[in-house]
Amino acid sequence: MAIRDDFEVVASQVRTVVQRFALGLLVIVTFGVMLVGKADTVLVEHARVLALDMVSPVLEAIARPVAYTNRAIADLREFASLREENARLREENARLLAWQTAARRLENENEGLRSLARFREGPEASFITARLVGDSVSAYMRGALLNVGRRVGVAPGQAVVTGEGLAGRIAEVGENSSRVLYVTDVNSRLPVLVERTRERAILVGDNSPRLRLTLLQSIAGVQTGDRIITSGHGGSFPVGIPVGEVVETSEGTVRVRPFTDFSRLEFVRVVDYGVTGLVGPAAPAPAAPPAGVRVR
Amino acid sequence: MRADGTLAILDRWGRAALPGTVLLFFVLLTLAPLRAPYLSDTLPLLPVLVVFQFSLATPERLPGLLLLVMGILLDLLLGGPGAPVGISALGFILVRAAVISNRRYLVGVPFLFQWIGFCILCWGYVALVWAFTTLWTWAPIDPVPAMLQYIVMIVIYPLLAPLLARVRARDPLNVPELSRGSARPGETTT
Repeated sequence: MAIRDDFEVVASQVRTVVQRFALGLLVIVTFGVMLVGKADTVLVEHARVLALDMVSPVLEAIARPVAYTNRAIADLREFASLREENARLREENARLLAWQTAARRLENENEGLRSLARFREGPEASFITARLVGDSVSAYMRGALLNVGRRVGVAPGQAVVTGEGLAGRIAEVGENSSRVLYVTDVNSRLPVLVERTRERAILVGDNSPRLRLTLLQSIAGVQTGDRIITSGHGGSFPVGIPVGEVVETSEGTVRVRPFTDFSRLEFVRVVDYGVTGLVGPAAPAPAAPPAGVRVR
Repeated sequence: MRADGTLAILDRWGRAALPGTVLLFFVLLTLAPLRAPYLSDTLPLLPVLVVFQFSLATPERLPGLLLLVMGILLDLLLGGPGAPVGISALGFILVRAAVISNRRYLVGVPFLFQWIGFCILCWGYVALVWAFTTLWTWAPIDPVPAMLQYIVMIVIYPLLAPLLARVRARDPLNVPELSRGSARPGETTT
């Protein structure tokens, strides 16, 4: 009996040592993974894309009922204010019709002037409509997952827009999924123009809801309420997508509020501009636009 | 007392796989677009709660290797370009180790103490991830969102933890390891 007890004591000691060793080993492995991730970014990208592709069907299954619930709640809320909403929309419609007339006139005029000046326009942009299947939001990241991928022509660096304006750019692309990096993400750097003064600047995200405008030549010219649009520098974005408006100018910092409401995004459009510019390797163009792709 | 009928085997397998499955579910839930402003931001910390609670109840069914895989999966799915892959795995493993080495202060004590324990460990986790991400990307990252996550997380804990704690209802594991006697994990109490 005593021998057996001794044996058990030794066995438990050995077990403890193994357990302790296992912890150390696991910690070493995690550090190894982190180092590999730092050294071989391509490998990590592949792993990310693989994981995204595996998970996106599951996420889509989760996203559907959530979207239905949210829509039902929104519907109920809208019922309450239907009359006011109607009146507001009618008024807005009248205003927009006036704008439409102005836009038509300007478009004609623009076309005429362009043909006079033999202006060569940039590549024609086409749009891929996508549904948001996952949030990629944490304390360190602002982004989302889309249910479209390489198969329909999505490539890294393409712009992602909503009805209101620019939302972000494509960061990673899988076969049937992709990840958007919002303009508010800390990694986001966007070449922009101040619409009124045509001054170039860089719009920097810092994970907060407000963006920072930097590298302005003269900060004094910027006023609160100025619209910020993409400048098209770098080649991957079309020119003139609205991004946001200046809400604060003080002490050398200009803060910009993005037009896009990131908390209620459901559908977005990926802008295929033909050139992917400097960002990422160019993906092979799809042979024919498959179903689900709206080309304009 | 171990019956070997098909149902019993299924039951054993089911219960062995439960913690891992729940953890996987929460890792996936992290990405679900809930569009609830505060809740969505805190989702990435929910797996920590699961790891803590299951390490408390049945660490045998949540081995370190599984945590490694889940942590890497979480990082791959959540992280943007440049974010360290494997930091969550490191955090999970350290949380598990900390819970196991402090089980006698955390198991079989009033709920409040478990909550306090969770507050401390979760703080450690958040601080670790923040510090590592900051060092790794070499960029000043605003710690306020991480703090907010943390605060919402410790408020959520009392709501979610009792639910997850039910996993150990039939296991004689509510006592420290040494005084557990010959009872083995998975064995039912009579």
